[in-house]
Amino acid sequence: MWQYVVRKLLWNIPVYLGILLVVMVALRVNDPVWARLGKNATQEQYEQTKEDLGLHESFLRQYGRLLNGFDLDRYSWDKHGRTVRQELSQAVWPSLAIAGPALVLTTLVALLTALLAAFRRGRPLDRWLMAGAVVGMSISYVVYVILGQYFGAYKLNEWVGREIFAIQGYDRSQPLWWVQYCLLPVLINAALAVGYDARFYRAVIVEESTRDHVRTARAKGLSERRVWLKHVLRNAMISVITHVMITLPFLVAGQIVIEVYFGIPGMGSTLITAILGKDFPIVQGFTAVFAALFIVTNIATDVLYAVVDPRVRLQ
Amino acid sequence: MRLLAVLLAFASLATAQEKVLRIPIRADGPKTLDPVRGSTQYEAEVCEQVYETLVQYSYLEYPKLEPLLLEEMPKVDGLVYRFKLKKGVRFRDDPCFPDGKGRELVAKDVFYSWKRMADKRNQPKAWWLFEQTIKGFDAYREAQNKAGKFDYDAPVEGMRILSDHEFEVELTEPVYRFLYVLAMFQTAVVPREAAERYGDAFSGHPVGTGPFLLSRDEDWQRTKSIVLHRNPGYREAFFPDAGGEARHEAAGKRIPFADRIEITFFQEDQPMWLEWKAKNLDYVTVPSENFTEAYTKRKRTLRPEWEEQGVTSAPIPLLDFIWQCGFNMEDPLVGGYTEEKRALRKAISYAVDLEETNDRFYNSINVVYDGMIPPGLDGHPPEGRSPKGARGPDLDKARALLAKAGYPDGKGLPPLEYWSATGTIQQEMLELLQRQLGKIGVQLKPRFVDFSQLTEAVHEKRAQLFGFAWGSDYPDGENNLALFYGPNESPGSNSFNYKNAEYDELYQRIRTMGPSPERTELYARMRDMVLEDCPFVGAMARTRFYLIRPRLRNCRPCETFWNWLKYLDVDPGAK
Repeated sequence: MWQYVVRKLLWNIPVYLGILLVVMVALRVNDPVWARLGKNATQEQYEQTKEDLGLHESFLRQYGRLLNGFDLDRYSWDKHGRTVRQELSQAVWPSLAIAGPALVLTTLVALLTALLAAFRRGRPLDRWLMAGAVVGMSISYVVYVILGQYFGAYKLNEWVGREIFAIQGYDRSQPLWWVQYCLLPVLINAALAVGYDARFYRAVIVEESTRDHVRTARAKGLSERRVWLKHVLRNAMISVITHVMITLPFLVAGQIVIEVYFGIPGMGSTLITAILGKDFPIVQGFTAVFAALFIVTNIATDVLYAVVDPRVRLQ
Repeated sequence: MRLLAVLLAFASLATAQEKVLRIPIRADGPKTLDPVRGSTQYEAEVCEQVYETLVQYSYLEYPKLEPLLLEEMPKVDGLVYRFKLKKGVRFRDDPCFPDGKGRELVAKDVFYSWKRMADKRNQPKAWWLFEQTIKGFDAYREAQNKAGKFDYDAPVEGMRILSDHEFEVELTEPVYRFLYVLAMFQTAVVPREAAERYGDAFSGHPVGTGPFLLSRDEDWQRTKSIVLHRNPGYREAFFPDAGGEARHEAAGKRIPFADRIEITFFQEDQPMWLEWKAKNLDYVTVPSENFTEAYTKRKRTLRPEWEEQGVTSAPIPLLDFIWQCGFNMEDPLVGGYTEEKRALRKAISYAVDLEETNDRFYNSINVVYDGMIPPGLDGHPPEGRSPKGARGPDLDKARALLAKAGYPDGKGLPPLEYWSATGTIQQEMLELLQRQLGKIGVQLKPRFVDFSQLTEAVHEKRAQLFGFAWGSDYPDGENNLALFYGPNESPGSNSFNYKNAEYDELYQRIRTMGPSPERTELYARMRDMVLEDCPFVGAMARTRFYLIRPRLRNCRPCETFWNWLKYLDVDPGAK
């Protein structure tokens, strides 16, 4: 397996270099210096700014700098006095503190729901569960966030008479900080995603449950529990793992609305602020990290395939 | 065991007694804490806690000015102002000083700080405050910026140090606003050691003489929150005693009262309002969508449920100039001074219904007026109406003007790029504007960005159309007229990049004039000249409704200056 992982990593190096190259080129199609200064700047201001931003160096040199540790010590162009490293290290933990548990919770609940629905396929429980999933999917993300904050934090605290969930904020110095600041956003995320995931997993499980080997297993006299857990669920895990692993990087970076409403200094809002502000060092640094994360999760997905499905051989 | 219990009891008592002030900022907060790089109200709100200016507005007798870093108000002899600094004012402790001990503030620090405003490498936002004001300063600026290295030690003819605590400044002419400028946070005094040692990082590592300080750089979570602590080395200063008025209960007590200020930045109103309702904020400005939850709509009195909680209300009329739509006058499509370009802008202006905006988003509490000078200041038009104003809605006139501009029914006019700050309300406001302009066939292409990015785009002349507000820096219409003075073009305060030689000439005249009927007449003339060219659609002035929790004492909000947080006291036991 390790041989496979190393080989995959080596194959992905050119992919990774290519991603960084494309990002750098894309950010420089329109001269970023003029974009910052506006069309009325003098040539002198242009030259000065170009130097200040480190863009006076050759493209290859800039590329080399990005490869050499993501250029993490470069100052943000938008947040004066902040380096890419500072922004990244500030943003990554809050994002992971929400994305990781949200993914686990969503997957567990969605899998359980999908199993129940598939097990009772065509019966009222299945219909109710899937109707609930469709309703859940149909409601806007922003509504979840607004109502979740109002009822989940403000009203709940009022009813209970003490603060269970913070209305907003993120302070890791508090002893129960994760429960206080992250659990509610995690629950909101899960509530939003469960509908999508449950429908998808149900379809996969239903398909697996009609396969020949499942019929054979039943014919052999295996218990229903064993049939479902060993022969249906295990085979369905390939699709589940693919879905979960693909979701992870997006979940880490895609929490913009929730981060704005809950005052969480995560990667989503940091990246979107950087993109809107043409803050290239931050965009480059974050993209480099995301791309690495994506490649690693892809390799991890392949490894997990082999773990859950003995038919898969890592060669 | 007993000793431990006693120690724990003391520890919990100490924590319980800590006075924490919890306040909101309704935006993504400051972008920088370097005074010369700052320009927005949010930067002022934080910078004024950590840095100090030579003079300040009197908390109890606003808009009177009084000494802050000065021993007394400067002595004026013609064009020469003589200043005497307070002794014993120290910068906070910081590794930039020998042994990490903050040193005493002296006269050369003042000139160094002002000279930073002249150094273009610092990306100063407010050079216009000093422009053509101090003898030799403009020439110094030009020469130093041209030279390879900016020499802060080079002399300026009008800046003279007399001793460590005394200096004088010679003006080019009797610029009336000069003292007001010295109360603005951009002119606050910073130590050279810190600015040079931290370079770019100085923006996030303030080293001032103010009553509060940023203990650790991590205490400022960009776009989320900032925590400031009481400056343990702050000099002896006391709550003011306004002569004549009944003595304030806090008069003579040592300031600051609070041990810590927790400032939270809210990009959306809902979390702020919920935090307020949950008693986690000591004051709040009421968002317009929650206005009727706080006040009765007709009488605008505080609802009884709030009164029962001991909440008090402070409506503050703002010296506000809100424009619905500003035009970049250098933009090839909407800018320019030809009849056609004027007609295009006026067509847009006539299509906009400001009263509808006022009703929908501000519960009709704003004052709609023509021009840029807010109510209460010289130069504000009688009844808010000027004969030169292009106040809508008048769709027939708008369509006729649009045709005159060469775009009958909007045909041939590409969608105009409108820059706005992000936020639910801003989106709804833009939708209303799109609907109003859609009636004459003008399309808008929205660009939603953070407030700090919006100002950046405007400063860089990238925004074609944009909407935000100007709060007067000081209570004089001249401050608003300066927004259209040619040399103040972006990144200065003239965000419209408006240029008119005659206007600029008149502006030069009013700069040196004190209040008089003649000056008021000139203000009105200048206002109408701008209205004739129509570089913006507006205007409105807001009243900000502050709600204040009973645990907060001595609170008299004012938005012209922000260093009043040092006067606020809190009851640490109450919520």
